[in-house]
Amino acid sequence: MALLEIKNLHAEIDGSEILKGIDLTVNAGEVHAIMGPNGSGKSTLCHVLGGRDGYEVTQGTITFDGHDLLEMETEERAIAGMLLGFQHPVEIPGVKNIYLLKEALNAKREAQGLEEIDTFTFMKQVRELVASMDMDDAFLHRGVNAGFSGGEKKRNEILQMLLLEPKLALLDETDSGLDIDALKVVSDGINRMRGEARGIILVTHYQRLLNYVEPDMVHVLYKGKIIKSGDKTLAHRLEAEGYQEILQEAS
Amino acid sequence: MNRTGLPDWLSDALPERAAAPTEIAEAARHQVETIGLPGLRDEEWRWTNLRAIQRGRFHAPSGVGADVEPSTRLPLDNPLRLRFVDGAFQGVPDDLPEGVAITALADADEATRAAAFSPKPAPSVENPNDALVTLNTAMAREGVVVDVAANAIVERPIVIEWLDGATESTMSHPRVLIRLGESASATLIEHVETVGEKPAWRNSVIVSSIAANAALTHIALGLDGESRLSTTRTFAALERDARYHSHNVQLGGRMIRREYDVHVGGTGAHTDLIGLMMPHGKQLLDTHTRITHAAADTTSNEHYRTIADDAGRGVFKGRILIEQDAQRIEAYQSSNNLILSDDAEIDAKPELEIYADDVSCSHGATIGRLDQEALFYLRTRGIALDEARGLLIAGFAQEVIDELPIPALRDWLTTRVEQRLNDRSLPVDSDA
Ligand SMILES: Nc1ncnc2c1ncn2[C@@H]1O[C@H](COP(=O)(O)OP(=O)(O)OP(=O)(O)O)[C@@H](O)[C@H]1O
Ligand SMILES: [Mg+2]
Repeated sequence: MALLEIKNLHAEIDGSEILKGIDLTVNAGEVHAIMGPNGSGKSTLCHVLGGRDGYEVTQGTITFDGHDLLEMETEERAIAGMLLGFQHPVEIPGVKNIYLLKEALNAKREAQGLEEIDTFTFMKQVRELVASMDMDDAFLHRGVNAGFSGGEKKRNEILQMLLLEPKLALLDETDSGLDIDALKVVSDGINRMRGEARGIILVTHYQRLLNYVEPDMVHVLYKGKIIKSGDKTLAHRLEAEGYQEILQEAS
Repeated sequence: MNRTGLPDWLSDALPERAAAPTEIAEAARHQVETIGLPGLRDEEWRWTNLRAIQRGRFHAPSGVGADVEPSTRLPLDNPLRLRFVDGAFQGVPDDLPEGVAITALADADEATRAAAFSPKPAPSVENPNDALVTLNTAMAREGVVVDVAANAIVERPIVIEWLDGATESTMSHPRVLIRLGESASATLIEHVETVGEKPAWRNSVIVSSIAANAALTHIALGLDGESRLSTTRTFAALERDARYHSHNVQLGGRMIRREYDVHVGGTGAHTDLIGLMMPHGKQLLDTHTRITHAAADTTSNEHYRTIADDAGRGVFKGRILIEQDAQRIEAYQSSNNLILSDDAEIDAKPELEIYADDVSCSHGATIGRLDQEALFYLRTRGIALDEARGLLIAGFAQEVIDELPIPALRDWLTTRVEQRLNDRSLPVDSDA
């Protein structure tokens, strides 16, 4: 059974159709990259998968790990093992990072019938992850993403992913705007998540990330549809030839 | 102008002898009888009506209260307590720290009493907007004078406990004078608590003068107590390089009106006015601030937040006046407001009056509901909607709490606010 199966997905925002019939299957163990020009609907797809209000699904189905995803609330999707890494992580001053991490982990544990994690174990685990992301402990005590640089916000998204160990990670442009050191840390984090039981979807504009995290499949999203899918060489072609060639080929 | 004067019960309560020097008291008494209480037609009172007081028929306390204790213990290190029960001063404590002198207002000499009734900036006895100060001047018999000697660094917080409502329907008009000598430093905390069930009204005035290079931190904590009515005014006059840091936290009371008049009168002086108001139920929590930059190279920073729930009302008006000769001023004001229910209301108004030309001044007011994007973000981390809302509301308050200078008090207040939010009747935001 596929981990994620999207069939003929149509979705609108404020009455205008943005996603126009998407089919996508991701199996456990696979890494998929979704590429596409600005405004093609990549973030919209992520938000629809996350269950954001205002994104209305008008046709199609989404099955996630055996569940009908469209019947689930945002938090239920998270607890079932989906993690959305934001293109623009939201700043929440006043809510401490460490607090969010703990609440999020405990929400998941509660759903699994486990007790709340004890503070000692939690802090140990978090500190190790923070160090592995080349971040400073001080981040933990600042407001969520508050005043973070672009790169710090993206590291923070990966940190949350590593702690929550989702079945499916959906990373929307986590590589955009990163300098090379940060890119290495981020891709290293993603590679650590890679495994038999997990699926990863990387939304990206740049082939560069895919040099560090090798995808099993690459899809081109254009005007709300996947117009071409292929292996990792498709990303190289996109980089070399641009979207124009591929678009013509597809039409 | 046609004004109705004081209600009879209040007029009848005007004392023969007040604590103010005779001339000042007589003038105040004469004026206030004509002007009466401020009303909605008076510019500074447009959003706050005093009907509950007009109709209240309050009477002066009969002198009980020696055994009244506050129910809340603030996490403070060896505080110096100045207790007022229904406005009556319970006496000077005997273990005063070095450099601190405390005198009951009634026992103070004439010059000191004159100072207590001559704040800067001076309110006008003829101005209806100032009628409650004038009333206090005419009525005040109780009060306290705190003097901090030059160079004294007072570590112990000086806590004024306002324990209101010990006897039914009492009113009180206490007056406090606090004077800091040159380079002195002290923390004044107002611990406000309602100790009875029935409404009580306190109309208090604090006059502070902060000499050159001295610093006064003034924290007001209005704790829960549904029946409390209070109208209070604080004056702070700053000399050269002086600092006045005000933190105003209002969590309870039926109608609470606080006014701050800060006169930044000496070069290099600075003031911070930080506030958090959380009206719920049918509470009205109102703060009016007026900062006057009367000297060059002075700065002010103002940050107020209001969270209104149920049918609660919050009012914030912040006026900044920069006088003509006050050049190179930096004055920042922000007021951020959160409305949690359809019946709640918040009025927020900045008012800038600038006569100097070399000024860097900014202000901003926002009134809104919870940030939907932040809610979505938290939910994608598995946090349930109600809890995510709670986190965001608490986080909104936390940013102001974090500015409190006493860490133990910060933690205490964080817990207090969390409890308040846990008790609230969900759901909020019908649109989420
Ligand atoms: N809230 C909204 N209301 C109306 N239209 C929207 C809204 N959000 C996105 N859109 C439109 O949907 C289309 C797809 O946007 P989306 O953000 O999904 O693109 P994207 O592929 O992620 O682009 P980028 O590469 O710039 O991140 C765009 O035309 C955009 O203008
Ligand atoms: Mg996008």
